[in-house]
Amino acid sequence: MGPPVSGYSPRSGSQDSGASCPLGRQGTAWLGSAASCLVLPDLHITSAGVCTATTAAKPIPAHPGLPSSRGRHQAAQVRCPWANSQPCPCPAWLEIAWGRDLQPVLKRLAGERECKPDNIKAPLSCSEWSSPRQAHRGSQPPLKVVESSFSPSRWFCPVRTFRFLTVPHVWYDPRGSPCAEGCLVRSAPFPACPGPVSGVRPHAAAAVMLPLLSRSRCLSRALNALRQGNCTLARCSVSGVPGGQGLACANSRKFVANNSSIFAVRYFRTTAACRNDVVTVNTPAFAESVTEGDVRWEKAVGDTVTEDEVVCEIETDKTSVQVPAPAAGVIEALLVPDGGKVEGGTPLFKLRKTGAAPAKATPAAAPPPAAAAPAPEPVSAAVAPPAAPIPTAMPPVPPVSTQPIESKPVSAVKPTAARAVEPGPSKGARSEHRVKMNRMRQRIAQRLKEAQNTCAMLTTFNEIDMSNIQEMRARHKDSFLKKHNMKLGFMSAFVKATAFALQDQPVVNAVIDDTTKEIVYRDYVDISVAVATPRGLVVPVIRNVETMNFADIERTINELGEKARKNELAIEDMDGGTFTISNGGVFGSLFGTPIINPPQSAILGMHAIVDRPVAVGGKVEVRPMMFVALTYDHRLIDGREAVTFLRKIKAAVEDPRVLLLDL
Amino acid sequence: MKNMVIRASLKNWFQLFYVHKFPAAGFKTTADGAIILQSVSNDIYQNLAVEDWIHDNINLENMQVLFLWRNLSTVVIGRHQNPWQECNLKMMRQKNIKLARRRSGGGTVYHDLGNINLTFFTSKKKYERMENLKLVVKALKCLRPQLDVHATDRCDLLLNRNFKISGSAAKLGRTAYHHCTLLCSADRFLLSSVLKSPYKGIKSNATPSVPASVKNLFEEDPTLTCQIVMDAIAAEYAIYHQIDHHVTLINPADETVFPGINNKTKELQTWEWIYGKTPKFSISTCFNMVYKHSFLEVKVDMDVKHGRIEVCNINLPEEWLPPALCGELEKNLIGSKFCPSETTALASALLRSCPQDYEVHRRWNLFCENMTTTLM
Repeated sequence: MGPPVSGYSPRSGSQDSGASCPLGRQGTAWLGSAASCLVLPDLHITSAGVCTATTAAKPIPAHPGLPSSRGRHQAAQVRCPWANSQPCPCPAWLEIAWGRDLQPVLKRLAGERECKPDNIKAPLSCSEWSSPRQAHRGSQPPLKVVESSFSPSRWFCPVRTFRFLTVPHVWYDPRGSPCAEGCLVRSAPFPACPGPVSGVRPHAAAAVMLPLLSRSRCLSRALNALRQGNCTLARCSVSGVPGGQGLACANSRKFVANNSSIFAVRYFRTTAACRNDVVTVNTPAFAESVTEGDVRWEKAVGDTVTEDEVVCEIETDKTSVQVPAPAAGVIEALLVPDGGKVEGGTPLFKLRKTGAAPAKATPAAAPPPAAAAPAPEPVSAAVAPPAAPIPTAMPPVPPVSTQPIESKPVSAVKPTAARAVEPGPSKGARSEHRVKMNRMRQRIAQRLKEAQNTCAMLTTFNEIDMSNIQEMRARHKDSFLKKHNMKLGFMSAFVKATAFALQDQPVVNAVIDDTTKEIVYRDYVDISVAVATPRGLVVPVIRNVETMNFADIERTINELGEKARKNELAIEDMDGGTFTISNGGVFGSLFGTPIINPPQSAILGMHAIVDRPVAVGGKVEVRPMMFVALTYDHRLIDGREAVTFLRKIKAAVEDPRVLLLDL
Repeated sequence: MKNMVIRASLKNWFQLFYVHKFPAAGFKTTADGAIILQSVSNDIYQNLAVEDWIHDNINLENMQVLFLWRNLSTVVIGRHQNPWQECNLKMMRQKNIKLARRRSGGGTVYHDLGNINLTFFTSKKKYERMENLKLVVKALKCLRPQLDVHATDRCDLLLNRNFKISGSAAKLGRTAYHHCTLLCSADRFLLSSVLKSPYKGIKSNATPSVPASVKNLFEEDPTLTCQIVMDAIAAEYAIYHQIDHHVTLINPADETVFPGINNKTKELQTWEWIYGKTPKFSISTCFNMVYKHSFLEVKVDMDVKHGRIEVCNINLPEEWLPPALCGELEKNLIGSKFCPSETTALASALLRSCPQDYEVHRRWNLFCENMTTTLM
């Protein structure tokens, strides 16, 4: 182990960090020294590319200017190892520091320094080095910096304090994907960075570790990993956290570094490395000497999978073979396109193991409740209170004040903050979720509102005594079924009565043509019957009802219903209609006002049949009664016509003989 | 934990023996742990759910299952197939033929009560399709020695070297199953007409079916009925596994025997499974309309993913319909299901909210009608 690099001195300037440095070339070296030096406390990398270990940085007390965040935020001291005016050789650092959540911080920093926004953009789009990891970037920002204690005066001070929220512990190869557990990482020299030190070219760090900087969340995840049993070293990290040192030492020992121009770091193995391990899953061997198959993805990049969840199916010669995830994690990359051919052993996809906690938390999902971790938080500095003996005596009752309760002026009452509701789907959860309105619904909404805006809608009510028609149905239903091979319902009576009334009051069957300022009287009666189906409301039309009898109407309704059931309804079946009957009674509606379906002028609402006491011939009798409502366009139809129309329907339903006699 | 679950379901399985047909002694003799089940249901979704349930819940390390089932008229497509490419959906709707997507691979088949389905459940180790087919061939030979039946490399059974009587498909997951059809007396005419897709211009990487000329067993020997053939296969299976020739009848709707099966049945019936699981495809077609002695051509391009329209381009002669209306339809179609009822409902809703004009109405109706019938 070499000695730590010493002699950090403020950089003399940002722009002159050397044309050789990729960052400097973009004129944004200030960021290179700010964001890119999130050096771990225990590991420094010299410009010569030698990994050295120092003693771990001490945890820094919480920043006084910030709300107390003990247990949630953890301060970390970071240093720029290249602060001594050497070109920053290491895009890898930037790579680590990069993250979506970093952006606001950087912006703010830039503001403090009165930097132009251009200065920020450039390093954030370091795609030339980081392209291999683009995919990863999209799914999980490597680092979240929530606060930093930068101040303008300390800008060039090499020691900075960042505050972190949940730092994922990942070994990054600057050029490739995150390394797998225990793998060998070899870094090729960056051609853009010729070395300043005695012919030894500086190299990017092969892999950089971000140690446990945060406490609570990471810990609970680490505990999860521990519980999963897939991480033997988790224990080490847990014990290491409180001091922030145990882990550091454990890890630093694992570095094998030398001074050759290409160096290798072996045996990275930390909690984090275990947990965030990326595994490549290969195609399983096929049965029955089948050689190749087509891949069908069930999951996409970024999806979270649990252990044994099917990620894809491979279809070989009429057999569908499931490929399960070997562990819980997040799909990092699909290496074969959907429908692509694979053979046994072909790499299929990359999986980032995450333990139990899903790495990609959806905004709707509640954060994992801290209480869920069964183990008490060993991280928290507070020592758990020693178990006290079980009390045997009752606690003393506080003395009750003998004075009357004093009244308090309202102003003296201080609002107490409501207790924070524990996250998680509890019984009284007050969450809400938003679902995109589908176009059909938007259409319906628009149409109904248009109807309300154009028509002068008014509703008139009446009630119908159903005893007569019920009796008629009871008496004739068997013979009706025998002759017509279908049931006799009430709908036919209402449709027929409506047609009768429409002929009596032709204005209800008419419509205003707004464009020509004409009234269009229709000599035919087409009645739309609103029917609720599982797919939504459909409104098939019974045409020329005036020429039909009860049996014809029933048959047509049956046919349309059958068509609707088979999804065979054509638009023509639903198009047109001069009047609508809507039956809310099937859902038990007692009373309601329907809304006009343009281009119509009125709509009849049927409701539930309920036994009610009514006065019949001076006596109270219980009769099956139905309320009916007629909503009409008052621009066209006067109250007299509307009421007469509804009474006509009432008469024809209560006593269908009216139809016969044309009364 | 996992062991517990398996044990619990095994317990259930044993219950099934005791409660239904098997005397305890009878079960003890089945050292091999092979059983023969037959479904009392003719509902494709229920029977597929049984397959699913056994696959998911039964530990088949020391047990093998033969499941015999028949369905009412149904078209069954493979797991990764495109129903619009494989069958005539319109005709199926008219004739009340159901569509189902099974969980195994392979191509599209037609089922009716004249067709037997056999499912062989084994562990993944013992999964061997040819053995199963040999067993079927042997059973048929036992029944009618003069029958010329043999299995091909594709795991089909051919009658008289030419006519396919059985097709296979399989699924390898936690356990394995291999199922095959066997045509005894199916409606061959309906079969061939329903398995012809009228939809043109579909591009996708969905698994295509391999059409073959088929024949029924009963055409070769009119005395062969489904029941006889099923009995013969069950008997052969019993001999092979040295078990008693007991066929256990099961009711796939029975939650006490198959806990959770009704959910599986429901899932198999959802639009999201049957149509939504179609691999992404694009359709690019044009159709002709005759309207008042004029003749016009409409071009439609659509991309459909998970059964929902993702991209939609309709190319109509400009003056024929208001372009705004057509554009509105395109916009509305995006995100909606690729199915005629949804498109029809959408079109009629659109029409109702557009300026009323008889001419436009007629044209619109004709256009939408043509679109749903030619596309979906």
